[in-house]
Amino acid sequence: MTTLTETTHRPESATLARIFNVTRLHLINRFPIMVLPLLILAFIFLVNYVIWWLLFDAVGVADRQDAIDGIQFSGASSFIFIYMLVVAVQAVNLTFPFALGFSVTRRDFYLGTCVAFVLLSAYYAAIMTVMAVLERVTNGWGLGGSMFDVVYFREENPVLQFVLFLLIFLFFFFIGAATASVYVRWRANGMYVFFAFLTLLVIGFVALTTFADNWPAVGAWFARNGAMGVALWSLVPTTLAAITGFYLMRRATPKN
Amino acid sequence: MSPVVEVSGLTKRFGNLNAVDDVSFAVEENTIYGLLGRNGAGKTTLMQLLTGQDFATRGQIRVFGESPVEAARVLQNLCFIKESQKYPDEFMVKHVLKSAPWFFRNWDADFAERLVQDFRLPTDRRIKKLSRGQLSSVGVIVGLASRAPLTFFDEPYLGLDAVARQIFYDRLLEDYTQHPRTVILSTHLIDEVSNLLEHVLVIDEGRIIIDQNAEDLRMSATTVVGPRGAVDSFVASHSVVHREGVGGLASVTVEALSPAARQKATAAGLELSPVSLQQLIVRKTDTSTTEFEQSA
Repeated sequence: MTTLTETTHRPESATLARIFNVTRLHLINRFPIMVLPLLILAFIFLVNYVIWWLLFDAVGVADRQDAIDGIQFSGASSFIFIYMLVVAVQAVNLTFPFALGFSVTRRDFYLGTCVAFVLLSAYYAAIMTVMAVLERVTNGWGLGGSMFDVVYFREENPVLQFVLFLLIFLFFFFIGAATASVYVRWRANGMYVFFAFLTLLVIGFVALTTFADNWPAVGAWFARNGAMGVALWSLVPTTLAAITGFYLMRRATPKN
Repeated sequence: MSPVVEVSGLTKRFGNLNAVDDVSFAVEENTIYGLLGRNGAGKTTLMQLLTGQDFATRGQIRVFGESPVEAARVLQNLCFIKESQKYPDEFMVKHVLKSAPWFFRNWDADFAERLVQDFRLPTDRRIKKLSRGQLSSVGVIVGLASRAPLTFFDEPYLGLDAVARQIFYDRLLEDYTQHPRTVILSTHLIDEVSNLLEHVLVIDEGRIIIDQNAEDLRMSATTVVGPRGAVDSFVASHSVVHREGVGGLASVTVEALSPAARQKATAAGLELSPVSLQQLIVRKTDTSTTEFEQSA
């Protein structure tokens, strides 16, 4: 077939182009994955800002430092990590049958999807880092508030701060991708087994730790490793999730 | 002509059901095929196997000489439009049209644009807000404008009105004439597409029961109409496909008649009429009538 020979003379660049096209496919509709989360974040920031202001106004000058210490961790920005987990689930669950309809192989789909997740992680990590640095230099937006530069997840060096956020985003993306892969591969039955297994794993861990009186050791582990240490350790589950997702998707079929 | 698709001994098992059951056939290049059959006959499963979207239980599939499963070189030359196609959650029509050329190298953006106007499709609308007919037209546009050497349409017309369906058939035929390619079209509206089809594959309970040139298939049967007695004595020497009658009149479908037999029938005052593709296929796949014929 003449039509088949055209692509064969530069197989590597053709493969990369195919993978990159899948990445582009994920990113073509920018608003829901690159703009909307920032709008939500801006809204949360606004609400927080008003609260800091009220707090700043209400407590006397003498108690201000104490109030600031009390609001070092608010969890206000944690939604964005969960949102990215959902983005990953949607990307695998809905874009997979669509991409196969566009004659993409499962392999190219998965690799292109991974590239998209890494790019999105870098995008959000960069934004979070900029916000954290701004928060630091403005002394909590002039009110001592913390939303991006929060206790424990604080790195003095902006580059390390970026790496820290990047690793956390990657973790959520690939956990989402692996979970969705279980669903795409085995549908509802896969989910029942997966969550039953996950529950047993968590309960088992809690029970063992409690019986062995090991909670202080767990706490000490987190304290000893620090946020960066824990984030680096998260590369283990992140990588496992990425590899598992690949093998699950290689045998998945788009179902109706 | 070389076969574009070669299938041998292909079986797909779901639980204890053979959705596709030991099927063998070949598809020739630059031909429009009709893949016909009742609901649940195995049409979609067969297409999913041919496009590498599903995995065969047994047997061999060769598309452009290779197995289509995970074969980018093969898949790049395929386009599979199915009725139940899913789209990413917030996708709009324009996103589909913008990304299609990244995956279909023969994509003709001007042609796609013309089709969008023909079908009056709003490109700024989200896919999930489209009506059933508009959703189908998205698939039809992608299937036509991609100009893939091997294009599958799996019941692409759901919810399309008669005008839109006619646009689809007209554009398909026009574009096929200018850019010959292999098209495999599965449909229930057999009479509507009967002029389009060059070759017919009929699948029933997972088996290919007809694999024939459309013209030969149309010629393969004739209906003889006339007074019951005259019809009965005429068809006695022919193999009967179907029989029905009202009062003293009988209408009997028989297999292909020779010119001599035709003359004899006309001389006996019997009326001969061609059988539509749809009727023929209904006769062949309706188990209640075949069983009735066998017991009669």
